[in-house]
Amino acid sequence: MKTFTHVIQDPLGLHARPAGMLAKAAMGYQSKITMAAPGGEADAKRLMAIMRLAAKAGMELTFTVDGPDEDAAAEGLQKFLAENL
Amino acid sequence: MGFFSKLFGGSDDKAAQSANQVFAPVAGQCVPIQEVSDPTFGEEILGKGIAIRPTEGKVYAPCDAKVDLMFDTGHAVSLVSGFGAEILIHVGLETVGLKGEHFTIHTQTGADVKKGDLLIEFDLDAIAAKGFDTITPMVICNSGDYADIKTAVGQAVTNDDVVIELKK
Repeated sequence: MKTFTHVIQDPLGLHARPAGMLAKAAMGYQSKITMAAPGGEADAKRLMAIMRLAAKAGMELTFTVDGPDEDAAAEGLQKFLAENL
Repeated sequence: MGFFSKLFGGSDDKAAQSANQVFAPVAGQCVPIQEVSDPTFGEEILGKGIAIRPTEGKVYAPCDAKVDLMFDTGHAVSLVSGFGAEILIHVGLETVGLKGEHFTIHTQTGADVKKGDLLIEFDLDAIAAKGFDTITPMVICNSGDYADIKTAVGQAVTNDDVVIELKK
C-alpha cells in the first residue's frame, strides 16, 4: 500500500473537468485508489464520488493506492496531480 | 410497461421512471455531445450524454432524483436518479470561472427532487455576453453501468422531452 498527499493548486478547486480527468487517470490502474479530503472519502475511479468531496483550492488530498500496480499508480497519479490540479 | 410501473399504479410518470428515461434539463436545441468544444465533454471523459443549446435560463430536474452535489457556484449539479443513473448537468463551458455570478441556486446537496423541479436559474444573455459558450452538456457519469445509452438529438426540446434512455 502506498499513500501520498497533494494540496490543490487549481484556484477553482476540484471542479468537473479535473475530477473527470482524475477519474480517468485512476481507471488506468488495477489498484484500488481512494482519496480523502476534508469533506470525506472517495473512490478515485468514480467521478461523482470525487465531485461530492467539493474540494477547494488549498485543501489537502490524501491518496491511498493498494494493489498489484500500486507503484506505477502512485507515480502516475502524482505526476497527473502535479500537472493538472 | 414493466412490472414496476404496474406495481406502482402504472401512471405515465412511473412508467417513465421504470424505463430509465432522462428528460431534457433545459429548453433548447438538443445536439450530440461531440459538438461540445470542451474535450472533457466532447470526448466523453465524464461519460456519455447529450448537450443542449439553451433558449431559456432555467435548469429543471430531468427525472426524480437525489441531488448528489449542488456546486456552490451554481454552474453545475450532479444527481443520482431513482433508477441509479449518475447525472451531471453542466451549464455552459468554463463557467466555473464565473464563481456563481449570473447563477441562482434553487436546490441543495442531499435534496430529493421530482422531475420538473427548478434546480438552477441562470442569466443566459449575460453569460453569453461575457463570451462564454452556454451549451449545456448532460452526461451519465456511470455510463459503464449501462449496456445501451440511447440519445435523442437534433431537435428542439423542453423538460417534457426524453433525451436519454438507459438500458442495463
